[in-house]
Amino acid sequence: MNLSDLLPLLRFLAPEILLSALALGALLGEAALSRLLGVEKRQNLLGWLALLGLGACLVILGDQAARGETLALGRGAFVASPFNALLKTAATLAVMASVTMGLRAPFVRHVGENYALVLFSLLGMFFLLSAESLLMIFVALELTSLPLYALAASQKGARRSIEGGLKYLLFGGLSAAFLLFGISYVYGMSGQGSLAGLRDWLVAQRTAGGPGFLFLTGVCLMIVGLGFKIAAAPFHLWAPDAYEGAPLPAAAILASASKLAGIVVAARLLLGAFLPVAGNVLGSPLSWHAGWSPAVAALAVASLTVGNLAALAQRNAKRFMAYSSVAHAGNVLVAFLALDASGRPAALAAPAIAYYAVIYALTNAGVFAAIHALAWGARGDDFADFRGAARRAPFPAFFLLIFLLSLAGVPPMAGFFGKLFLFMAALQADATHWGLAWLVAYALAMNVVALGYYLRFARVLWVEPAEDLRPISTPLELRVALVALALLVLGLGVFPSSCLAAFRTMGGVLLLRG
Amino acid sequence: MSTYEHGYLIVGCLMLVALVVASTPLLLAACLRPRKPSAIKQATYECGIESKGDSWIQFKAQYYLYALAFVIFDLETIFLIPCAVALNQVGFFAFLEMTVFVGVLLLGLVWEWSKGVLEWR
Repeated sequence: MNLSDLLPLLRFLAPEILLSALALGALLGEAALSRLLGVEKRQNLLGWLALLGLGACLVILGDQAARGETLALGRGAFVASPFNALLKTAATLAVMASVTMGLRAPFVRHVGENYALVLFSLLGMFFLLSAESLLMIFVALELTSLPLYALAASQKGARRSIEGGLKYLLFGGLSAAFLLFGISYVYGMSGQGSLAGLRDWLVAQRTAGGPGFLFLTGVCLMIVGLGFKIAAAPFHLWAPDAYEGAPLPAAAILASASKLAGIVVAARLLLGAFLPVAGNVLGSPLSWHAGWSPAVAALAVASLTVGNLAALAQRNAKRFMAYSSVAHAGNVLVAFLALDASGRPAALAAPAIAYYAVIYALTNAGVFAAIHALAWGARGDDFADFRGAARRAPFPAFFLLIFLLSLAGVPPMAGFFGKLFLFMAALQADATHWGLAWLVAYALAMNVVALGYYLRFARVLWVEPAEDLRPISTPLELRVALVALALLVLGLGVFPSSCLAAFRTMGGVLLLRG
Repeated sequence: MSTYEHGYLIVGCLMLVALVVASTPLLLAACLRPRKPSAIKQATYECGIESKGDSWIQFKAQYYLYALAFVIFDLETIFLIPCAVALNQVGFFAFLEMTVFVGVLLLGLVWEWSKGVLEWR
């Protein structure tokens, strides 16, 4: 490769390069300033610099999306496309909300390192959202996860932060092992590293007696690893502890951007590369076909059940959000199964998953930002600490209500259309026989339960009497972040079909290149 | 079943045999032996010496920091040597790549230094 070939690449890789420079800059900034400025000053200064850099990233990503050019490097190792740029934009926005939350409340002594970890994790998500090869997916997943483990445990003084972080690390390590083991089987059987290559190989195997059971074993092992990443039951056990223990800004990333990247990569693998071995779960169990569909259906049902029922019993806002995220993993997995009897996915499936993942990431970032604003004057983050918080801080409480209603799926919030499209995709897949009606009916029933517990949280805020009536002041930048996220959640809800159409024309989630 | 999968079957059989061979004596011993526990028998075995104190002791984290810093630069040489040997073939671009790589590691060293990781306390 020559230097002259390098320059056009730089334009496509500009967001990633900028992020790496930002993360390294945060480390150096900490090194240079740690003797000159106090923790709070550094937190503020480095935070604003990080926000500035992330804003520049947004501009570059917007430019990439507008130009509409696509570049695929090294057999899908890195694919830059307008669609990917859009997903990266959503992840960046969620991370910006998290950085904004931490600006005035230093929760760690190592300020620059904290920002560097956040930025490195976002860098990992960027690569993950662009990866269409097995090895790159694994490396990017690790780059995303490793900083998150450290972030979850970053309140070194707090026992539960350490506990949550350790649990997250151990589960994460185990699931990475599962994923890598699965990848080794899949690669070993097929000899294909790129997702497009894998799909072509699988299609060719249809006439040559199928891919063999070891390949399917590998796919199932990979599903375990992915299930951990998106916190689908029964691989969700780390989530409540990690969410509860992590400082709110870190928990916000776990619940939003990290989840978005996990859902997209799961969709790329299952609905992209492994589509020919999907099988199906249409109609009664007797008529199901073997493949990854029954396994994913089991995950979906388990997540919907465990997430929604366990969320009912929670007393802590962060644990509650963890179980809510398990339930949402169940919702999104429903659309993974939107395949007809011949194994073709519904046209709506991939755009619906992407739309839902984006909405979900933005909404969750908003929920955590609002909880953070309310927790300013509270002793802790149990529901009891938020009693009557709407009277003390009406501004963040109002926005929290908006985000909760969006999570619950109340129109006209975007969350409603997110769920609507997921379930529509599932029903469209086998429209003549109502093949997936059983799953959609179950998901709808569970979402009624969900409405109950989201409204219960809103009730705690708005109806229950406050013990302490001192007003809580919300810093300006947090107000701006809340308004911006709410506008996005409402805006994407007002124009749902145009967003979906945009996702569709951009090639859907499953743009695969050789 | 293809020959490829057949190979795994042999590994599986070997695993099973290993499991049986390893667990049978233990199980047999557990069934046959008389059970007479005493304090000295329950104690942790430490080369025959009586064990003293708790195993939950604090030890210096500094060792790990040193080891980590060492491993990073150790690995750096592993990457540098092949690049240096093949520099004529791989050309200027590889040199540039290596410069970026070493530069990033150097930044790490600057950070470690300023954070006081390299001082023994």
